[in-house]
Amino acid sequence: MHIHALIILASLIGINSATPTQEEEYHESLTLRPLRDGKVATHFAFTTLIRGAVPRAPHSLADDDVSQHYTLFPLALGQILREYAITELHLNLNAGQWDYDRWGQPGEPAVGSGAELWVWMGDGAPTSVDARWKGTQNALAGLFCTSLGGMDAQRTTSPTRAFPPAGNLPRLSAPHTHRLRHASLPAESVCTENLTPFLKLLPCPVQAGVAALLNPHRLFDADWHGLGIDVRWIAGKGVELRMTVQAVFDPVRMSSEGKRDWTLRSLFGRVIPRACPVASSSRITVDLPADGGFVLLPDPSEIYPTSVAFNLARGMEELDISMHWSQEVRFSYPLDLTSTPISAISVDRTLKGASQTHGDLALVLRNNLHTPQRVLYLETLPWYIELYLHTLSVECGHSRPYELFGNLTYTPPVPHGSPTLLQAELILPPHERVRVAARFRKSFLRYTEHPPDAQRGWDLPPAVLVPEQGARARVYTRAVLVDLATPDFSMPYNVIIMTCTLAALVFGFVFNMLTRKFVVVYVGEKKEGDARALERVERSPSKEM
Amino acid sequence: MSAGRWTLLYIVAARLLLALSLIGESLKEDHQLASPLNAYPRLREGTYLFNHGISPYSGGTFRHSPLFLPFFSWLPDSPYLNASLWTLVDCISAWALVSIWNARSGGVRSRGVLLASMYLINPYLFLPSLATSTASFDNALLLLAIKFACERRTPPCLFSLAFASQLSLPSILLLPPILLLLLSDAKSHLASPKSFSTSYSAVAPVVLEFFAYFATLTGAATIATGGWSWAANTWGAGLILPDLTPNPGLWWYFFTEMFDHFRPFFLMVFSMHLLIYVAPVCIKFQHDPLYATFILVGLIAMFKPYPTLADAGLFLTMFTLFPETYRYLRYPIVTALLHLHAFLLLPLFHHLWVGAGTGNANFFYASSLVFGVANGGAILDAIWAGLRIAVGEVGEDYAVMQE
Repeated sequence: MHIHALIILASLIGINSATPTQEEEYHESLTLRPLRDGKVATHFAFTTLIRGAVPRAPHSLADDDVSQHYTLFPLALGQILREYAITELHLNLNAGQWDYDRWGQPGEPAVGSGAELWVWMGDGAPTSVDARWKGTQNALAGLFCTSLGGMDAQRTTSPTRAFPPAGNLPRLSAPHTHRLRHASLPAESVCTENLTPFLKLLPCPVQAGVAALLNPHRLFDADWHGLGIDVRWIAGKGVELRMTVQAVFDPVRMSSEGKRDWTLRSLFGRVIPRACPVASSSRITVDLPADGGFVLLPDPSEIYPTSVAFNLARGMEELDISMHWSQEVRFSYPLDLTSTPISAISVDRTLKGASQTHGDLALVLRNNLHTPQRVLYLETLPWYIELYLHTLSVECGHSRPYELFGNLTYTPPVPHGSPTLLQAELILPPHERVRVAARFRKSFLRYTEHPPDAQRGWDLPPAVLVPEQGARARVYTRAVLVDLATPDFSMPYNVIIMTCTLAALVFGFVFNMLTRKFVVVYVGEKKEGDARALERVERSPSKEM
Repeated sequence: MSAGRWTLLYIVAARLLLALSLIGESLKEDHQLASPLNAYPRLREGTYLFNHGISPYSGGTFRHSPLFLPFFSWLPDSPYLNASLWTLVDCISAWALVSIWNARSGGVRSRGVLLASMYLINPYLFLPSLATSTASFDNALLLLAIKFACERRTPPCLFSLAFASQLSLPSILLLPPILLLLLSDAKSHLASPKSFSTSYSAVAPVVLEFFAYFATLTGAATIATGGWSWAANTWGAGLILPDLTPNPGLWWYFFTEMFDHFRPFFLMVFSMHLLIYVAPVCIKFQHDPLYATFILVGLIAMFKPYPTLADAGLFLTMFTLFPETYRYLRYPIVTALLHLHAFLLLPLFHHLWVGAGTGNANFFYASSLVFGVANGGAILDAIWAGLRIAVGEVGEDYAVMQE
């Protein structure tokens, strides 16, 4: 018996040693950035790298997959990536509107409100890209407790210009290429039920490392918060999984004295108890505010001109970082924030018009730099918003310089089918306000297509601007709500009955008249007995034919 | 120049001035005046996409016939040019209507001025024209087809009808009565019914000729757009109703409120329902095919998938071609009042629903039902009068009824 067990054990070890062991690395970081308006932007990044790994080739989906062994990489996510042969995956769940003018560019560019998922995958698999895209959504929806299943064909686009691969794409045998699928659900909210499964994917979830700070009570109390999953393949390096959490806290709101002082404990309600033992690197960076006058405790391990860093080493003691302005009795809110934006581009998107049949889409962009900027403008609109492209106008100052707008790709919407996709290049002159406007038509939906809270309106996904120079970090506009005309939801039977009655009446009367004979009937008083009264004079046209 | 001609000139001038005053700009997408198949902004969107190398039929915004594309791509988008063009089209329609009357009456009684002005000042026709709805083009082509049929000029008649059918598929249902009209004459035989006497062997070449024109135009449309995608977007729209934009017809709300699993069935029923009237009406009015055409114009206006006021307007204006039936109409006042009622309620309730937000969709649906009842009443009365006239006068003590 024992010998048998030993043989089985030995064979298992043998199989295990036969599979190539992949080297995995785990890095974690936290960046804290005090902002001009007293808030603190925090950015957690947990990066797992499988050295030498390659994404599953699409054509291999026909065969059984090799067994998967990971030490640090989350198996639940790895299985999804292998099952659908995903080359690159990006999922973001955000709540709130990132204020670029006050907070600058976020640590992770994907800050559009709601859920956003985009995936690059190769074709040439036995199942279509769209079927795998659907499967990916459902698997991720199950993993992260989100309603990603609502990303149907009506919301899926392929904006390859605005969402190029973040890593590299493996070469596929011709004629197969990589395809992009992108969808967003602007009304999707993010909460604890999404964070819990997210934390489970981390090697050191709550007990150690910077992830110990991820306290849902504080995170979801923040002014802005978002979760992100990014998987990409970097040629020569391997498959990289980057899990991010971003939150903008308001210490002024949380402090009873109205001060902007913060500590890790005041922000997160926790401190870092110990370092994560499996992390290759673990560091906390604090960006130093420009105005000075603050005290930072404890002493950092590294000091740079605009930031300091703390390295969490094994054997460290409990760490709490604090920053306080000892001279400041109360934080005085700067009033000139909107006039001095710190972002390169200020953008505002609005819908205008009170009617439920038409409206105007207006995008106002301002270049805050001294040099002209070239940006890619991406607009994805659900099919029930039909843009009139011929009314698209670009205004800069009082002129209408059409040369500012070019290189346009447009996919018109298909009713009950697929959304509008508009990608165009805009040139923003320095310190100028550029206004892009277009008229649109609102469609009328079937009563079964309306959501249960039909009167609330429909969320339109945010537009995306991608500067074509520099870091090419995407800028998301506001997600807007559009009001569509609703039918009466209690009426289906009544409408069917009344319309059919009218049609049947006309049908009946028409055929009655066309088929029955005309007769002349005596209707005068009876004069010569009943015989006369019943006399009928048939002079129907049909008789004379 | 006679007083009548001056009157006409004044009317045309007034219409042109009104059109040039651009009051129609705000009406361009009015749901009563322009359906998804003939709204002008959609036409401009289509030509814009066409000119920029994007297939206009890849989306659902543009549902006009491809035959519009080359012309409107060439025509500059000027409201003044449009005002003149649409007024001209309406003048052509009015002229065709007068020609139809002349062919029917043999030029005995001069009602030309009355007829032309009835076309030009009919609000159901005038407002869609102000809104630059291409329904005016559909009407003009249809009237031209009838005019040439009355004058027994086969090629132009069939070509106009083929063109009209390209622009609006339900117009093809008028082929049988127009064929009868081509092969007989336009004179009024309502009072003296007789069987259709022309040999049926004459029908086949004419039908073939029609389908030759139709195929040529279809081929031209396909070449112009470089594919067949246009057919699903234009003709297909009338069969599967992808766009549920409100209109004064019966389809849109019915299919907005339809249960999803019954939708294909009822789409089939509603399409068949349009077909079912053609043969009976043509058989019953074989002695007077112009009257059969008139009745079918009314039925199509009422039951087509995307009607506008212009469709009903054409039917009501064609009433003026048949003065001999007036004395046999049973309830013209009721019909007229129903039309007045619908004409006032439709824009009002539409605004309350989608504009002011104080009413709901049922308000507009109710007024479109009233409009349907008014149209149905007019059609039924016209059929009655057209049949009753054959019985002639009866004494005071007698009444005419159906067995």
